[in-house]
Amino acid sequence: MQKLTCALLVDDDQATNYLNSLLLKRLNVTDKLLVALNGQEALDLLLLHCQEAVVECPVLILLDVKMPVMDGFAFLEAYDKLPIKQRNAIIIVMLTTSLHPQDVDRVQRLNIAGFLNKPLTEAKINDVLKNHFDRHLPEA
Amino acid sequence: MSTPSLTAADLARENEELRYQLEEAHELIHAIRTGAVDALAVQGSEGPRIFTLQGADQGYRTLIEQMSEGALLLSNDGTVLYANAGLASLLGRNLSEVIGSTFDSFIPLPFRDYWAGLVLKGWAGKSKGELPLRTEAGPLIPFSVSTNVLTFNDNDVLAVIVTDLSAQREITAIEAQVAEQNRIISRKNEEIQRQEAARQEVERAAAEAHRMLEGIPHIAWTTNPQGRITYLNRRWYDYTGHDNHTPLDEQWLLHLHPADAEGTNIHLAHSLSTGDAFEMEFRFRNQAGAYRWMLGRALPSRNATGEIMQWIGTSTDIHEHRLALERIDLAQKQLRDNNAQLTRVNVDLDNFIYTASHDLKAPISNIEGLLDALLVELPAETVQQDPVQPILGLMQDSVNRFKRTIEQLTDVSKLQKEHGRPTEPIDVGTVVHDVRLDLEPLIHSNAAELEIALEALTVLFSQKNLRSVVFNLLSNALKYRSPQRPPRISLRTWTEEGFVVLEVEDNGLGLDAASKHKLFGMFQRFHDHVEGSGIGLYMVKKMVENAGGHLIVRSELGTGTSFLVYFPR
Repeated sequence: MQKLTCALLVDDDQATNYLNSLLLKRLNVTDKLLVALNGQEALDLLLLHCQEAVVECPVLILLDVKMPVMDGFAFLEAYDKLPIKQRNAIIIVMLTTSLHPQDVDRVQRLNIAGFLNKPLTEAKINDVLKNHFDRHLPEA
Repeated sequence: MSTPSLTAADLARENEELRYQLEEAHELIHAIRTGAVDALAVQGSEGPRIFTLQGADQGYRTLIEQMSEGALLLSNDGTVLYANAGLASLLGRNLSEVIGSTFDSFIPLPFRDYWAGLVLKGWAGKSKGELPLRTEAGPLIPFSVSTNVLTFNDNDVLAVIVTDLSAQREITAIEAQVAEQNRIISRKNEEIQRQEAARQEVERAAAEAHRMLEGIPHIAWTTNPQGRITYLNRRWYDYTGHDNHTPLDEQWLLHLHPADAEGTNIHLAHSLSTGDAFEMEFRFRNQAGAYRWMLGRALPSRNATGEIMQWIGTSTDIHEHRLALERIDLAQKQLRDNNAQLTRVNVDLDNFIYTASHDLKAPISNIEGLLDALLVELPAETVQQDPVQPILGLMQDSVNRFKRTIEQLTDVSKLQKEHGRPTEPIDVGTVVHDVRLDLEPLIHSNAAELEIALEALTVLFSQKNLRSVVFNLLSNALKYRSPQRPPRISLRTWTEEGFVVLEVEDNGLGLDAASKHKLFGMFQRFHDHVEGSGIGLYMVKKMVENAGGHLIVRSELGTGTSFLVYFPR
């Protein structure tokens, strides 16, 4: 399988980031992996790397909802106004715990590729690759 | 009488004789009038005729002369033989013009026949009538006349008395006025009598009211229709202390709490102007100087025609009652506060359950993930070693239990958001059959006997929740079996007034009375040897109550338990 150039994990929980990094590395999904602890850090990374189509600009963002400083919803609002050229090349998938009906409603109206219930698993990553990148993990 | 052939001397002589006769007549008349003579001779066509006032006496003559009525004597040919001064004056003529004249000449033509009739009747005896006479000045004056035949020296004359009626007419008018005045006076008298009767009625009613009001154990009072106090009973003076200096009408205001004065006046004014019953709570100061709450009430007392005669009122001491009410109000306010607080706590709890189930999910799945990662990192032989292997096993068990609890909490929080009643009838038999299949291993391993008798075939409920209810009750009946006997479980349904009832009865461990109250609490477990989170019955209760039903538990320790679920129809 052809690896993704770069993926970005946005979550304030270090353990989640550690486990998700571990999983993505084990599955050989991406060449480069960036980690941001909240929405603001993620925005800064995008501003830094996504002015041009460079390898450091993530093509997949796995975004947590509840975070300090700037949460997932606020990040998406700010992202819409971000002056970057590579917006169309970036896939955003929200990672949530079991959702409050009100939040489900909110997420469904957002301009994102989809959302996944935590925890992240091999099967879920495979779904994302198939749906958005037209590739799949090698059969075990 | 004389002839033209008479000489001047004859004429002079004759003239002299006539003058003599005239003088003689004057003297005679004077003499008759003054009573100097009693008889007179009148020269008629057949020679002089002598009239004598036979037996006439000076007194009568004076009376006749002086009376204001007219009096005259008529000869049978209608000549006035005598007339009094009264008649002359009534006719406005000299007496000399009247005496010797024909009376007919004073009678207006239209009345001559009438007069002739009266005269004719008069000669026959007596007559009476009314007719006008012509006066010197011309106007006719109404008179009444009465005639009577008198005899003078064997000669009959007609005596006529003439009375001026115009004066009588005036009197009649005056009498009419007097009568009218009398009527007015009599009407006024009647009015005064009526008012007096009304006043007496009011006084009687007031006196009656006062007598009765003395006997009642409340302060009582009456006012007049204008609202002025007319009476206060003895209770008032017992309460306020005796005060004979303050006028009756000012007593109550003197003792009324100043803060209640305005409201009382407004209420009172309203009642007085409309006749509506008066009712108000106010405070009166007693003789010790303490204000006590009173309930003042008054009704108008009306007479037979509906007029308000007086107001009768009472003041009842409600001080203790009112204080008790205030205490109840306070207690109710505290209850409301407590309820509001409990409602807040409940909302917080709901939110907590949701948040807990939500927020605990990530860390526990992380722990599980990290545990897996650790297993990958540890050398295989270490993992197999004692005590590492049992520790890892216990850790995995704990993680699993943690995850299960969170799942159940999630179910609970979902359940709390369910609203409205399902309207689709669910087939109970199908649900029971499915659950029985799921529990078959447990039924088989415990050699349990399950008896099913469905009288009611459907309930209005959600299919998923009915499954949960049946599953929980049946699995509980199996789990809490008695070690002393093989489990015997019976599941029955039937219809009752307004409900479909589902009963699950077992012969298991049973519960004591104290435990029954806590049975439906979240995470309640009464038997720690049994697997379970203790959340099942809580869920069952919630589901049934959300659908408008309820649960009843009958249980005896050591004998068994029976759950009755009431589904509304």
